[in-house]
Amino acid sequence: MPRKDPITGKLKWYKSEGAVAVYSALISILIGMAVGAIIVIVVGMSKSNISTSGVWEGIKLVFLGVFSTGRDSAGQLTFGFNGVNIGNMLFRAVPLIMTGLSVAVAFKTGLFNIGASGQYLMGTMGTLSVGLWLGWSGCPKGIAWLCAFLAGIILGALWGAIPGIFKAYLNINEVITCIMTNWIAANLVTWWFDAHETFKNSAEGGKVGYIIPLKNVGVVTPKLLMDKIFSGSQANGGIWIAIIIAVAMWIMMTKTTFGYELRACGANRHAAKYAGINDKKSIILSMAIAGGLAAAGASLYFLSGNTEFYWSTYQKLPAEGFNGIPVALLAANHPIGVIFSGIFMSMLNISGLQLKYLTAYNEYIADIIIAVIVYLSAFSMLIKTILSKKIKHDHGNVNAEPAPAADNKDEAAGVKENETEKGGQK
Amino acid sequence: MSEYVIEMNHIRKEFPGIVANDDITLQLKKGEIHALLGENGAGKSTLMSVLFGLYQPEAGEIKKDGKVVKINNPNDATALGIGMVHQHFKLIDVFTVLDNIILGAETTGALGFLKKKEAREKVIALSEKYGLKVDVDAKVEDITVGMQQRVEILKMLYRDNEILIFDEPTAVLTPQEIDELMEIMRGFAKEGKSILFITHKLNEIMAVSDRVTVLRKGKYVGTVNTKDTNKQELSNMMVGRPVQLEIHKKPATPGETVLKVEGLTVPSKIHKNNAVNNVSFEVHAGEILCIAGIDGNGQTELVYGLTGLEKASAGTITLNGQDISKSSIRQRALAGMSHIPEDRHKHGLVLGYTLEQNLVLQKYKEPRFQNHGFIRFDEVRKYAEKLIKDFDVRSGQGPVTITRSMSGGNQQKAIIARELDRDEPLLVAVQPTRGLDVGAIENVHKSIVAERDKGHAVLLVSLELEEVMGLSDRILIIYEGEIVGEVDPKNTTPEELGLYMSGAKRQGKEGEANA
Amino acid sequence: MVFLLQQMMLYAVPLMIVALAGVCAERSGVINLALEGIMIFGAFMGVVFVRMFQEGGWTQDQGQLIMLISLLLSGLCGIAFSMLLAFSAINLKADQTIGGTALNMLAPALVMFFIYMIVQQNTMGMAQGGAAGWFMIKPSTFGYPKGYSFGPIGDFFLNKVYLTTYICIIIFILVSIFLYKTKTGMRLRSCGENPQAADSLGINVYKMRYLGVGLSGFLAGIGGFTFSMTTANMTSNGDVAGYGFLALAVMIFGNWTPLNIAGGSILFGLFKCIAATYSTLDINGDGVFALNEIGISPYVYRMLPYVITLVVLAFTSKNSRVPKAEGIPYDKGMR
Repeated sequence: MPRKDPITGKLKWYKSEGAVAVYSALISILIGMAVGAIIVIVVGMSKSNISTSGVWEGIKLVFLGVFSTGRDSAGQLTFGFNGVNIGNMLFRAVPLIMTGLSVAVAFKTGLFNIGASGQYLMGTMGTLSVGLWLGWSGCPKGIAWLCAFLAGIILGALWGAIPGIFKAYLNINEVITCIMTNWIAANLVTWWFDAHETFKNSAEGGKVGYIIPLKNVGVVTPKLLMDKIFSGSQANGGIWIAIIIAVAMWIMMTKTTFGYELRACGANRHAAKYAGINDKKSIILSMAIAGGLAAAGASLYFLSGNTEFYWSTYQKLPAEGFNGIPVALLAANHPIGVIFSGIFMSMLNISGLQLKYLTAYNEYIADIIIAVIVYLSAFSMLIKTILSKKIKHDHGNVNAEPAPAADNKDEAAGVKENETEKGGQK
Repeated sequence: MSEYVIEMNHIRKEFPGIVANDDITLQLKKGEIHALLGENGAGKSTLMSVLFGLYQPEAGEIKKDGKVVKINNPNDATALGIGMVHQHFKLIDVFTVLDNIILGAETTGALGFLKKKEAREKVIALSEKYGLKVDVDAKVEDITVGMQQRVEILKMLYRDNEILIFDEPTAVLTPQEIDELMEIMRGFAKEGKSILFITHKLNEIMAVSDRVTVLRKGKYVGTVNTKDTNKQELSNMMVGRPVQLEIHKKPATPGETVLKVEGLTVPSKIHKNNAVNNVSFEVHAGEILCIAGIDGNGQTELVYGLTGLEKASAGTITLNGQDISKSSIRQRALAGMSHIPEDRHKHGLVLGYTLEQNLVLQKYKEPRFQNHGFIRFDEVRKYAEKLIKDFDVRSGQGPVTITRSMSGGNQQKAIIARELDRDEPLLVAVQPTRGLDVGAIENVHKSIVAERDKGHAVLLVSLELEEVMGLSDRILIIYEGEIVGEVDPKNTTPEELGLYMSGAKRQGKEGEANA
Repeated sequence: MVFLLQQMMLYAVPLMIVALAGVCAERSGVINLALEGIMIFGAFMGVVFVRMFQEGGWTQDQGQLIMLISLLLSGLCGIAFSMLLAFSAINLKADQTIGGTALNMLAPALVMFFIYMIVQQNTMGMAQGGAAGWFMIKPSTFGYPKGYSFGPIGDFFLNKVYLTTYICIIIFILVSIFLYKTKTGMRLRSCGENPQAADSLGINVYKMRYLGVGLSGFLAGIGGFTFSMTTANMTSNGDVAGYGFLALAVMIFGNWTPLNIAGGSILFGLFKCIAATYSTLDINGDGVFALNEIGISPYVYRMLPYVITLVVLAFTSKNSRVPKAEGIPYDKGMR
């Protein structure tokens, strides 16, 4: 938030912590896309089947893929408002926003939720199974939708709670337990669907290996005007639900005593415990909420009516789970920011697909850009430090009694101890 | 040949926002014990780190035997024969004593393989020559703090250092161990080694040093011969104004029992024995009861057991007649216990939170500060502003300052403000003055005495003997997790306390309750 | 039985070497979550090099040489890739978990991008032939006829094995000795426990951490190559089936010490091997595929390594000896 300078009365945007976060995110994005463009150039130059104009087209699509409208009769790339692309972007943003929220909420409690993939899969299982059951049972579609949505969330929350329990009671690093539970979930889900033939889509040819889509039983998220605005796209009301959930998370984390407790646990578990906060409960709840959010992403994705689930997933974890990490990092773990970063990541994916369809390149360039952005979140820390140092400098020495940075060994030791806790025991 | 073996002239060292050393000069003669005196934050450690090559000064020069030298890193310092025993020992816990001593100065054979046999013989010879008894094959984590210090000293001797820096070496030792250390230091000096002795304890300076250099707030105050000065003068030089060395308080008027602890036992996280073993005591309204002892004898765990931070395996705790042995941390706090924790960064504060958020850390759930789970930010702000004013907590941006950016003294003030404002019948204060300067210490002591005079019970845990003697109305001594004696501060001496603290003396079981 | 043991070794050896990779980094104080990514990258580069040799006209007779050179080059590529982690963790003092995660995302993205650019499909194999044909040690390698038996012990060591198994075991032993018996190894370990102490003794913490991460990259790189050759027929598809993460689990399970890791790898290798081969596994040689006939779902076997990791972690967490300074960036200014 911008603050008014008490002396000059000028608004100082750049000084606020939020602004610094936005700047560093933008810088990360720019560098990430530049790396993508460089790879496009270097690969284009070294491949004989890609001409100079092909390279240039590749670069244009990296940056503007979402506005691509295909090729004109002369074979030139054309750009403009593409309702299908933008609608699809919003549609694909939904699971990314939800897994991003999942990672962000856990982060605020000091936990690195790398288990969103597994939670996402459990959500998929819950939503598809309950949705199909209730769809067949003939119960009202609205209730079936709600139950399917909630079933996914509950299953995801329970799954997310497992690493939380390991962390809270045994102090085992959540990263390793999340990775293990991811693979267990992948096997469990495959096992479940393998064992229940009724869910498998055997009616439609070419759909072998897929689960019957929920639209076949009419359990589908309402479009809420999105089909009118972005006609021809997959967009639906899911994006509104995701935005509402994000706002709710923001309120929960910043305005409530519950959020105060969670963040206290994240910032300093020992101090939270000292203050009488039940640190174990907070950790488990936080992971359960994270799991529920990731699962909600899966629920909304499969309730959309235009997605199908390939059930034999035991060798492959859904990318949405891991992509929640860059979404959260780019948003500096701010729930509202996650909406934008989720949409941005989705845009990159659309660009990647345009590259695949329209050029000799392929969609993995988008993944490279995303990975670079995650890597750069290290860099963004650096930018933040530099910017905030500048802020402190501008303010002058405000401490009546300056913090003895170097000489107070207690202090250094104390800070270190907190960090040790963060590094934690595995 | 210069008169001085080491000269540090006009040293200046800055850190962002602070000048840690401002034009400081220190001259060390060969074979002398030179004390470096100053409060916490005066710049002593920074100056020594400059000498040891850990920091580079912005201005000034260092001379060894009259020649200007450049010390870029600890290797350079070692090459010049400078060694240092750091206040927080620089030891690798999981390595053996021998490995710790040779680390960084290893002898190796072909392909970089370690050759430990000669090293071992040298270490054993040194340890015998100077009476520094160590077990070379024990892991550092298994040996006592005293032995760890001997390992640090052996590290210097192993490197044939001639200039030995001791940074606050006595903080972790009993009075008897301190005497031994002083003897060892005198021995080194007699051999021609030169010693820099960093401390803020005046008694030790008077006992062992030849000369004293005093620093204050990063500036050089002066150098005096020990035999030409006295404690009061040194103390004034250190603080910059006359200081009351005594704590003034009225005699205590103990009332009813507020806290009653019976048979409290807390298992240790480090070793198999109990950290606190069958401890019983009472604290009365209107008295300050102090638990004295050497660090690591179960004080921390005793407090954890009392406050609920750790589970006790046996015993009952009664607060105001209410059994709280099985209660949660919050229930205990609500039953009437406030707690100034030992480690303000670990337990006392959420450093990433703002000052106001920290000030309501114990109260955010009270109806005053929340409405159906939503925080009432305006009330929090009002309350924080009141505490900041009442307790004179200074910070850059008032209630919204991130506590990490505050000075240690003000952080401690914030904690004390928060805990004292709760106005509970029992105050548990653990090392409340750790790392504070003299002015801040005076304030904390006054606050604690005022708390007692209000009729509250105070349980004080302190490692500082002067604080124990000056502040408390009754002293219990803890040794290896057991209460080994109870004494009246008016009728005891530091030496007697030392005997209890080192386990050399203990009162009989029967005497414990009513001695 | 020989078959089972050999299969087990094929799964255990990459785990062992990659878990040791984790030890090298973590003993120096850097959490290397990127083992998976480095393996993926190493495996991909290994396939690329093998293809280059094949396309350069090297023949099947030079199989072992091609394999050795490619193995070494994969290791070097692993070092190069791991330097990204080292730079962010050591110089930028970034969160090591996030840095590692970034590399785990970057490796498959890069690898898939280039595989598509090179072969226009999602898996890249050798230019011709298969791993078994080119690199496996068989009776024919020694000039014996097909089907020749060296006896049970001889068969275990010499028949249908890969040279990498022995190379990895030797490297494993050498690196373990390096860590515990040499000056540099001791200094490296000190940086993972108490870098402030190491620094005060004139040890360059940054250098030691770079060494630890680099060594880690090398071992994970050759681990990736070995994995792709022995269990994926020398193909690369941007995936090593979570092996890097499993290696992390083995490292924790083995308490950061080589000997325990060797034991842990063999145990996990056994489970992995059962999961992969249970349906054709003839344990006692009576022609009955016992595990298949019990009727337990294959997913149970596939889940088992992960479930066991969780259970073991739950029971051993109290005694685990994490390098104390791991994960904490070392800042010379913050002493």
